[in-house]
Amino acid sequence: MPDFSPDNNKLTLKVVFYGPALSGKTTNLMQLHTLLNPERKGELMVLETRDDRTLFFDMLPLGLKGISGFDLRLKLYTVPGQVQHDSTRKAVLSRADGVVFVADSQLNQQDNNAIAFGNLEENLDKVGLDIDTLPMVVQFNKRDLPRVAGERELQDRWADTPWAPLIMASALKGEGVIQTFRSLLDRLYTRVDEEFRLAETHGINRQEFVDRLGRSSKSEVPHGYL
Amino acid sequence: MDTFEDDPTLSQLLNAEQLSRLHQCLSKLCREPVMLTEAHPGNDATAVEFNLDTVGWLSGGQGPQEREAAADLVSFLMLFIGKYRLAANLHHDTTEASYAELQRQNEALRESEARYRELSNQLQQKVDEQVGVIRQTQQELYESARMRSVGQLAAGVAHEINNPIGFISSNLRVARDYVKDIQAMLPDSAENRELATDFHDLLNESIEGTSRIAAIVTDLKTFSSIDQADYTRCNIRALLASAIHLVQTEYDHRLRITEQLHDMPEISGHPSRLSQTFFNLLDNAAQALGNSETRDNSRILVKALAQNDRIQITIQDNGCGIPDSHRPRVFDAFYTTRPVGSGTGLGLTVAQDTVRAHGGQLQLHSREGAGTRVLLTLPIS
Repeated sequence: MPDFSPDNNKLTLKVVFYGPALSGKTTNLMQLHTLLNPERKGELMVLETRDDRTLFFDMLPLGLKGISGFDLRLKLYTVPGQVQHDSTRKAVLSRADGVVFVADSQLNQQDNNAIAFGNLEENLDKVGLDIDTLPMVVQFNKRDLPRVAGERELQDRWADTPWAPLIMASALKGEGVIQTFRSLLDRLYTRVDEEFRLAETHGINRQEFVDRLGRSSKSEVPHGYL
Repeated sequence: MDTFEDDPTLSQLLNAEQLSRLHQCLSKLCREPVMLTEAHPGNDATAVEFNLDTVGWLSGGQGPQEREAAADLVSFLMLFIGKYRLAANLHHDTTEASYAELQRQNEALRESEARYRELSNQLQQKVDEQVGVIRQTQQELYESARMRSVGQLAAGVAHEINNPIGFISSNLRVARDYVKDIQAMLPDSAENRELATDFHDLLNESIEGTSRIAAIVTDLKTFSSIDQADYTRCNIRALLASAIHLVQTEYDHRLRITEQLHDMPEISGHPSRLSQTFFNLLDNAAQALGNSETRDNSRILVKALAQNDRIQITIQDNGCGIPDSHRPRVFDAFYTTRPVGSGTGLGLTVAQDTVRAHGGQLQLHSREGAGTRVLLTLPIS
């Protein structure tokens, strides 16, 4: 649920990168930290890791200012993907406003994707959120590796879900990361605008919301392709 | 609601002592002393940011450049302090959540354990009950097997005795007639008359003895054929009336029997065995009145009525009653208190078996010196 504090006119939104272990959630966040050029961008906080595996979470704060001092914050979190950190996943997931599900494209990881997706659904239910109405995008990462599931096949399989079309990515190479993020911003806007009248009250329309938070630092990524 | 992700304030990140040490260190690095405060101090100050939030204001220093540098350094420090704070808060949150979950599970476990314990107790109780039932059934089975073999023996003996007693009885009657004939042929002397009369009496006594043997044999046959199943419609009132008539004949109509026989529906049953039962009970009552049978107040009450779906028959006397010491054995086969030869000890046994075979109950209440009441209940359907 969005956290609005009227005292300082500040709205904080929370987006969680979820997915099976080693699917590239932290890599996504690191690439966003590098590639994004939003209006405001904080430091990427990589909390404790062991052997390069996330123990707590990573967090990247982004922000933009609206008219009359409206302060919009977007905090991007990752969760630890390993099975044993379920209580941490649940704590990070609580009060989320949007979810990016980072799946692993490798053929031998499809079962883990399904297990992690089931775990997401279950944990969302436990923290009082509904997977069918929560703004969410599904990214299939690691397209650069050999022996990955075919895109056509994946798109067909997910065609009848609310999360079609899937976004193909190679986070390590920085491909598809911003596209994923902008797609989420678009879905997130619909929900937040309903409740907080971003366009009417704060002068932030959909295009601005996506551009000012999801602007790329590289000129070759076209502006406002959505 | 506090969660781990709430943006921290300066005082949450650094306590007063740590803040004053930071002031000292920074002031030593700068040319002029600097000061970090949570609220804007009012004069020239540079914002210190943490996670895009302004957590404090840096004032003092020799100029904007120096303040900028010091603020950058503080922001850098804040990143690590904040990181630790976030991790610690998350750890605290998840630990509390896990503990609450554990407590919930523990509670559920305890409840289920209590439930299983109760279930186990109930099961134990049921097992105990069943063991009791099995023991009881075993005992009854043993008893009934014993009774059946005794019954078979009795039936065999009765059958074997029946034939000889038949021709003995018949021969004795013929012999009695012959004695008359012989007497007519002998000279009429006092000696001869006495001899003939004595001979006649001897034969009469023998005939009476054979009819007593025949009665015992009939009892034995009834007792041993308890499982026969040729049921017809029985009119209890008529059966009782004829049993009363029979017992009166036996006692030369000297018994005072009060009859209270109401109209009752016919029931399915074995008429001869029911008659035998009624006769046995009436005979017991008559025996209990004993020599006092001619006393003015000695009475037998026979009452029968239909109540709900059963027929209730009461046969009551105010005779000698049954002593406490005898009462537990009155239904045992071959148990009798009568002089040898005058009872088989099967009367009440046959009565009880018959009533049970009809799906009914036989209850016996007695007090020594006051009398005995037998209550028979027979189901109508």
